[in-house]
Amino acid sequence: MSERPAPAKLELLVRREDESFEVREVGSALGFIQSRPHRAPEGSFEISEVGSRVAGEPSFILKNAATERFLVLSEPETFLWEQMDGNTSLQEIATAYVLKYGEFDFDIIPNLIRKLQRAQLLTLEPKSRLRQALARNRRQRVAKAVETTLAGLERIRVSSRKVQPFVQRLHRWGGFALFTRAAAVACLALGVVGGVAALALLRELEDVFVGFGGHALGGFLVVKLLLFASVALHQLVHALACVHYRRRVREFGFALLHGFLPTFYVDVTDIFMASRRARVVTAVSGTLVHLVLGAVWFLVAAQAPVGSFTQAFAAASGIIQWQALAIALYPFCFVEMDGYHVFVDLLGVPTLKHDALSYVKALLGGRARLRWRRLEGLWLAYVVLSTLSVAAFFAFNVWIVVRATS
Amino acid sequence: MDAPADLLRFLRDVRLFTRFGEPDLIALAESLRERHLRKNQVLFREGDPGDEMFIVRDGIVLVSKAIKGRVEQVLDRVHPADFFGEMSLLDGSPRSATVQAETDAMLLSLDRTGLQRLSDTNPRAAAAFFYAMVHVFIERLRRSTHQVAEATRWGLEATGLDVESR
Repeated sequence: MSERPAPAKLELLVRREDESFEVREVGSALGFIQSRPHRAPEGSFEISEVGSRVAGEPSFILKNAATERFLVLSEPETFLWEQMDGNTSLQEIATAYVLKYGEFDFDIIPNLIRKLQRAQLLTLEPKSRLRQALARNRRQRVAKAVETTLAGLERIRVSSRKVQPFVQRLHRWGGFALFTRAAAVACLALGVVGGVAALALLRELEDVFVGFGGHALGGFLVVKLLLFASVALHQLVHALACVHYRRRVREFGFALLHGFLPTFYVDVTDIFMASRRARVVTAVSGTLVHLVLGAVWFLVAAQAPVGSFTQAFAAASGIIQWQALAIALYPFCFVEMDGYHVFVDLLGVPTLKHDALSYVKALLGGRARLRWRRLEGLWLAYVVLSTLSVAAFFAFNVWIVVRATS
Repeated sequence: MDAPADLLRFLRDVRLFTRFGEPDLIALAESLRERHLRKNQVLFREGDPGDEMFIVRDGIVLVSKAIKGRVEQVLDRVHPADFFGEMSLLDGSPRSATVQAETDAMLLSLDRTGLQRLSDTNPRAAAAFFYAMVHVFIERLRRSTHQVAEATRWGLEATGLDVESR
């Protein structure tokens, strides 16, 4: 039997603005997983379900209306077909497939793609439409500047793939204690005490923020920096949880998300191999860092002299930490944070955000009808709640800053 | 500047000159000019006029061809004792690729006048030179054919295009 050749690689030289350059090796696999399969447009195909009393699982017949070609798709293949909307990359589709079916048999994806291409039901598009649009308009100075900046910033990444032994040691030397019943009770108690302190502070909020004096904006910037540092701790607790359930932490690092959002990250995708409880604990435990820190800050603020800088700083830190907790846990904000992942895992709808946005977009564009079925109701509720939540979030922050600076 | 003995020892390792005798190498050395490149410095760009070839004495240079925008495909890495730029030297056509230094590099250049002098004064050495060059051309042609096949395979793999069943 002949050996399968290694994936092909291209060596590319990319010039920078300052006449220097870098050489990048791009594997064909990377190009493949970043491509966005685009199924044939609505109306050019028909799909119908064929029930089976023998197999117990339905199959589907997909027909290309133009060529009159028919394909038989299994239920998972139909799920994959529905994801292939030209906006979702193969990497994202594979993730959705794992979340829905719990299987890592990824051969199903290229096999389906080949089948669909033969039936002329699929095209593949490159990944980022924003980057495509910027590249098209490179002659415009602004577009070129944005493209160059984003490309430069995206390259800023500090990470380690050898983090597992470190996290294991940390877990052995006391990290395990975070996942005991006593720690959960202590965390809850601290949350309650912190909440009481926060309520007390809320009654005299104006006096509290007087403590900033003329340094409100500077104070808020430092508070934000501290929050940023606590995100590293948040990610570390995710990593500890992953190790606690005997799964592997693949990477830990810092990057600029989408080229502008500084963030720490940890790759705990191995937790998908563990139980649902393990997945939920891993997702939630990191966010509890903000609960604990927020509660501590509120307690410090409650003990500090009224109207002092310490009180104002601690109260603002507490608010920001708990806000981070709410954002991380709250699933309805268009951002796929920890709470969102727990929510979709519990509901079994891994592509909720994507499906909901596509549905509402189609509704607004007149390409879909309003139906009061459970799934469409969930999609609508997700978009409405997320929109309201994002608006409320911005309003709350504006209110805080206005109160603190006035 | 290198001591002549060092230069002669180096030239003996260059495939083009392996059949050169000591007097041929000494004559050749007089026609060669040193050129220094800093890391990232471009020696010439695709489309530039040119009438000299270069031998890498020290460092590594990259040969690339424009693909799209600021992206170029790396065609070759030229290491010490290897050479490039001979196409423009021989047929006077513009440079077919861009060459830049991947590390600090020192090159030796041979221009058309130098080559002409070699042919006029030492036809036997010139014949050995061209014979060796043909061998290198054949090797490069084989490598280019392989590169074309690899680029095609890359495209097929990256798009998942199924051509076997079409």
